[in-house]
Amino acid sequence: MLRARQVSFRYPQENQGLPPVSLEIAPGEWTLVTGSSGCGKSTLARCLMGLIPHLYNGELSGEVWVNGYRTSEFPMWQLAERAGMVFQNPAAQMLAPTVEDEIIFGLENLGLDHDEIRSRLENTLQEFKLTHMRDRNPQTLSGGEQQRLALAAIIARQPEALILDEPLSMLDTTAAMDLIACLERFVAGGKSLVIFEHRKEYLDSVSRLRHVALAGKPKADDFQQDGMSLPTRADFTVEMNGLNVQLGGRTIFKNLNLSMSSGQIVAVVGRNGVGKTTLLRSMSGLQKHGGSVRVVTPEGSQRPDFGMVFQNPDLQLFNASVQDELLYRLPNPDMAYYRWLISALGLNAYENTPPLLLSEGEKKRVALGLVLMRRPAHGLLLDEPSLGQDNAHKIILMRLLRTLADAGYLVVMTTHDLTLASHADRLILLGQGGEVTADGATETVLRDHSAWQRTNIALPAWFQHGLEAEVAR
Amino acid sequence: MRISQAGRARQLALVEDSPLCKADPRTKLFISVAISLVVMMPIERLLIFVAIYALFLLWARLLTPTVQHVWRLKWLLLLLFAFDWWLISLDHAVLICTRLILLTGVFALFFSTTTTRQLGLALEKLRVPYRYAFSLSLAFQSLGLLDDEWRAIREAQSSRGAGLDTSSFRRFVSQVGDLISLTVPAIVLTTKRAWAITEASYARGFDSPHRRSYHTLAFSRLDFVLMAGTTVIIILLYWRW
Repeated sequence: MLRARQVSFRYPQENQGLPPVSLEIAPGEWTLVTGSSGCGKSTLARCLMGLIPHLYNGELSGEVWVNGYRTSEFPMWQLAERAGMVFQNPAAQMLAPTVEDEIIFGLENLGLDHDEIRSRLENTLQEFKLTHMRDRNPQTLSGGEQQRLALAAIIARQPEALILDEPLSMLDTTAAMDLIACLERFVAGGKSLVIFEHRKEYLDSVSRLRHVALAGKPKADDFQQDGMSLPTRADFTVEMNGLNVQLGGRTIFKNLNLSMSSGQIVAVVGRNGVGKTTLLRSMSGLQKHGGSVRVVTPEGSQRPDFGMVFQNPDLQLFNASVQDELLYRLPNPDMAYYRWLISALGLNAYENTPPLLLSEGEKKRVALGLVLMRRPAHGLLLDEPSLGQDNAHKIILMRLLRTLADAGYLVVMTTHDLTLASHADRLILLGQGGEVTADGATETVLRDHSAWQRTNIALPAWFQHGLEAEVAR
Repeated sequence: MRISQAGRARQLALVEDSPLCKADPRTKLFISVAISLVVMMPIERLLIFVAIYALFLLWARLLTPTVQHVWRLKWLLLLLFAFDWWLISLDHAVLICTRLILLTGVFALFFSTTTTRQLGLALEKLRVPYRYAFSLSLAFQSLGLLDDEWRAIREAQSSRGAGLDTSSFRRFVSQVGDLISLTVPAIVLTTKRAWAITEASYARGFDSPHRRSYHTLAFSRLDFVLMAGTTVIIILLYWRW
C-alpha cells in the first residue's frame, strides 16, 4: 500500500514543484493520476517511490509511506523491495547488455540465491513473452518491447506496489494495450498500482480505477491567433517516386510511391519501428535514399524545403532565451512575424526565459517556433508532436497546424496518438516493411477496420466507441 | 532513443568464434597489461614481439578486426610517423607508431572478446567497488548510444540552420564559435540519460548491501595456458636478449 499525506516538494531555486497532495492506494486498486504538463505528476511519482528525497535536493514536506515504511527514514534499496517504478522513456531505463541480464540485475540486488534468481527469471521471461529475445541487446528492441521488459524487470522483484510515470506515452496503441493487460494481471494479484498518464482513455475499461486529477493551470487559452494572417502559398505537390531506404542492412522502404498536396495536414500512423520517422527524414533530405522526392509546382520541379520538428526538443535548444532561440542566425528577422508567432505559440510570458528551463510542452512549441521562423518554403514535418503533451498543449498545437495548412503549407506528422491523427485531413497507415496499408481521407481510413488489422494496430475500444457515436450522430 | 545499426557498428562487435571469448576476462586483462609493458622495450625486441603477437591474433581469429581497428587510426599514425621522422629520426617514428599500433590492438583484443557484463564481473573480482565496476561497464555499453545522440544533434541543428558547415574549411573555421549549438544539447542529453539511468537503477535496489551476483567467473585450463605463455614470452624478451 502507498500512502502520501500532504506531501509537497519544491526544487531548489525554483518556484514550481508539487503542491500539497494526499493520496492512498489500497491493494488491488488502480489509481490514475492526471494533470496538465508541469503540474507535478512526475514529482509526485518520485515522492511515492522515495527517489525524492533520496536522490533529489529540495524542500520536501508531508509524509509518504511505502507499505508502512516512511520514505524519508529508510534507504532506497529497502523501499525498492516494496515498490517498483517504471519510467516514461523505455530506452533510458535499460541497464544491461541483454534482456536476460536486465531482469537479473534487479534480482541480484534482492540478495536472492542462484536457484531462486533462475526460477524467477524463467517465469518472468515466459509471462512477459520475452523468452525468444532473452539474448538480445535491450537497446535493439522496439519501444513497446522495451517498456514490457522494464515492467518485467520490476515485477520479477515481486514488489507490493507499482508506480508508472507516463508508461504509454511512447507506445503505439497495440503495445499500450499489451502493457495494460500485463498491469491488469499484476493488480489482480492484490498489488497496488498508481499510473501517471495523459493518455487516460486507454484505462477507461479498467475495473476498480480511481481517478485523481492534480490541479494545474490549463494553457490552451494562451493561444492568440489574431493580429496577423499568413500569406497564402501557391499550390504544390510533393512527389515521392520509387523511394528506397536501407538502414543497417534492413529494408525500410522498397519502391514507395506517395504524393501529398499542399494545404493539408497528413498524419502517418504505424507500429513502432515501421519507418515513420525515416519517411520524414527522407522528405527533409536528412536520410540517404534511392528514388526521388521532389516538389512539383506549376512552374516546375524543386527540391523540397521543409522544417523538421524532432521528437526530442532538447536536440535543438541551446540559447539563453526563447527570443534568442527563435532569432538565432536570422540576418534580418521579420519582427512582426516573430511577434505573431510567439503569441500564436503561447510563449509571450517566456520570451526571456532559457528554453531548457521550460516544461516539455513549452520546449516543443519553442522548437516548432524556431523552425517556423526560418519560413520553410513547403511546410512542416513533425515527429510525434504530441508525445508527453497534455490536452491543452495538443489543442494549441493543432490550432497552429491548422492555421499553417490553411495558409497553403503541407503539414506531415507521425503519431501514435489516434485522437490527434483524427484531426488530420489525410491519414496514411504504414505497415511492416514500409508498406502503405491505407491512405485516404481521415474519416474513411479510421473506419476501415481491415486496414488497421493489416497494419497490426489494434484500435482501442474507447476509440471505436467514439467513432460509432459519431456515426450515430 | 534506440541504438541504430550505425551506432552498433561503431561499438566493437564481439568476435564470437574467437577462442579468447571462452577465456576469463581477468586473463585478458593480464595479457593486456603485459602487452602494455612490452611496448616500452627497444625497437628490435618490439618487432620480434609484434611478429609473435600477429601469430597470436591469427590463432585467436582477431587479426582482421584488429587490422580494421588500427586502420581507423591511419591518419593519426601517418601524421605521427611523418612528424617523428621529420623532427627526430626514422627509428623513433617506427618505434612510436609500433607502440601505438600495439596498444590499439590490445584494446581491440579485449573488447572484441569480452562482453560488458564480463568486464563488470572481472572488475568486481579485482576488488573494484561494485558501483564503479557497474558504471564503467555501463559506460562502454552506452558508447553506441552516445554516437547516435551526437548524430541526432548534428542533424537537428543543421535542419534549423545552426549546424556546422564542413563543406569548406574556411567556413568551418569561421563557425567554430558556434560549437555551442552542438555542445549544449549534448551536455543536456548526456546529463538526462545519466540521471534516468541513476533513477532506474535505484528503483531496482542498486544500493542494496545484500547484492549477490548471479553470474560467476572461473579460470579454465585455457586461462592458465594463456597466462603462462604470456609470462614466458615477456621474461624471454626482457632477459634473454
